[in-house]
Amino acid sequence: MIDQLPEGKSIGWMQAPPQWIFTHTVRFMGIVRVVIQDGEGFILIKKGKPLVYYFKHGRIELRGRAALDYFNSHPIIEFNLCKYTPEEFAQVLKICNFDERASEIPPEPELAGELGEESFESAPAPSETPQVPAPSVSVEELWEEPEPAQEQAPEEVPEQAPEEVPEVFGEVPEEVPEESAGTVPEEIPAPEPEETSEEVSEVPAEEPVVQAAPEAVEQPKRAPVEIRRPAPVIPGVPHPLVLDEPDMKIIGQMKKLNGIVAISVFSDERNILLMGDVAIESLLRIARTMLATTRKIDPLLDWGSFVHMTLQIPEGNVIIAPYHGNHLCILTTRTINIGHIRRILRDLQQRENGR
Amino acid sequence: MSMLKETLNRFLILNGVQAAVVIQENGEIIESMKSAIMINKDVQTALSIIMLDSKITAAQFGNASLSTVFIEFTDYMVILGPLIEEFFLVVIARSTANIGQITYEMKKNQDTIVSQL
Repeated sequence: MIDQLPEGKSIGWMQAPPQWIFTHTVRFMGIVRVVIQDGEGFILIKKGKPLVYYFKHGRIELRGRAALDYFNSHPIIEFNLCKYTPEEFAQVLKICNFDERASEIPPEPELAGELGEESFESAPAPSETPQVPAPSVSVEELWEEPEPAQEQAPEEVPEQAPEEVPEVFGEVPEEVPEESAGTVPEEIPAPEPEETSEEVSEVPAEEPVVQAAPEAVEQPKRAPVEIRRPAPVIPGVPHPLVLDEPDMKIIGQMKKLNGIVAISVFSDERNILLMGDVAIESLLRIARTMLATTRKIDPLLDWGSFVHMTLQIPEGNVIIAPYHGNHLCILTTRTINIGHIRRILRDLQQRENGR
Repeated sequence: MSMLKETLNRFLILNGVQAAVVIQENGEIIESMKSAIMINKDVQTALSIIMLDSKITAAQFGNASLSTVFIEFTDYMVILGPLIEEFFLVVIARSTANIGQITYEMKKNQDTIVSQL
């Protein structure tokens, strides 16, 4: 079924708790393509209302509540938000055989082993499933995002060559004032509603909307549930951070800047949001080490509030900054225009202080 | 004025730069040029922590060499670049300073500073 669906316009891959999807799609009309291990599935969403859940792993198909339960059994899932036009959406409804007027998930079979040979029981149980991409990737591979535009191989620079060490923030033009150089759209630091990009139009405006999701998630009460999975309660995991529209806009636009490999919002306990294709565990380990450094020096310096810390090594930069009581971690190539990142982070800080 | 001081003095003419310091990882200042800023024990301790911790953090990247550390607060920022062995060049500047210009000067003067150590 997945193959028949229109592609839609991809907004980007993310890693976040399933609940995040429901709280951030109030204005979204499209499909959330979910990938868990070797399986893939989707959630069809119309303005915050999930209409269809589907997941397929090998010959096992999960639909409706079963698929939702499976998504929810993972604290973090990887997904791609793809926006549909009304025509595409109608086409998908047809493919899914969904009657929109019914306004609830149709009583699809909870479990459909296509060939009747396998059951959900044979699918990997949540507890057996790695819930976060395994941190088997070495830290050096963090920068190996397959984006040609960002390829700035730090290649063959000898380690202690005098030329190499001080090549700080390489792309900042030497004679040009940093504030005037670069490619960042002016609206990034101070987003205005009329500048809303397409992605932003998909996320809730003004206030974070938390209530939309629970009803949507709970909806298939009437459907008999054959297989109950434990609720996705993760000990020690705080509520998902709810980012408002300007936040999502800023983060989304930052991710689009040339040279940004990944952006993560993380707390002391876990990763909250990741944009970019990196081994999050390795990145967070480094980010937390940097965070520990800033916490050690903060009481010693009377220099105002901490804005950001940037660590540069030949492969690129890791930047951490405070963000809504959590932290932002940005992984960039060596050639990033640090002046612009700096300006954005300062603006974020000012917004933070203004809250 | 020593030659090293003269070299460090080149940083002070940059807009917003308050201090240029050659410092050891243990926080001991080898030479410094300052303008309207105090580098007290706490600042030295903080700089020492940044240098040592950053080296450790950089090592997590498959033993990558540390190029630069940049920490910004609302009023000041500090840029640290390793010189040789345990010596670092540290520039403290107002947050309004142009980081591109400072890092360019750090790069330009690195060899000179190392030769003057």
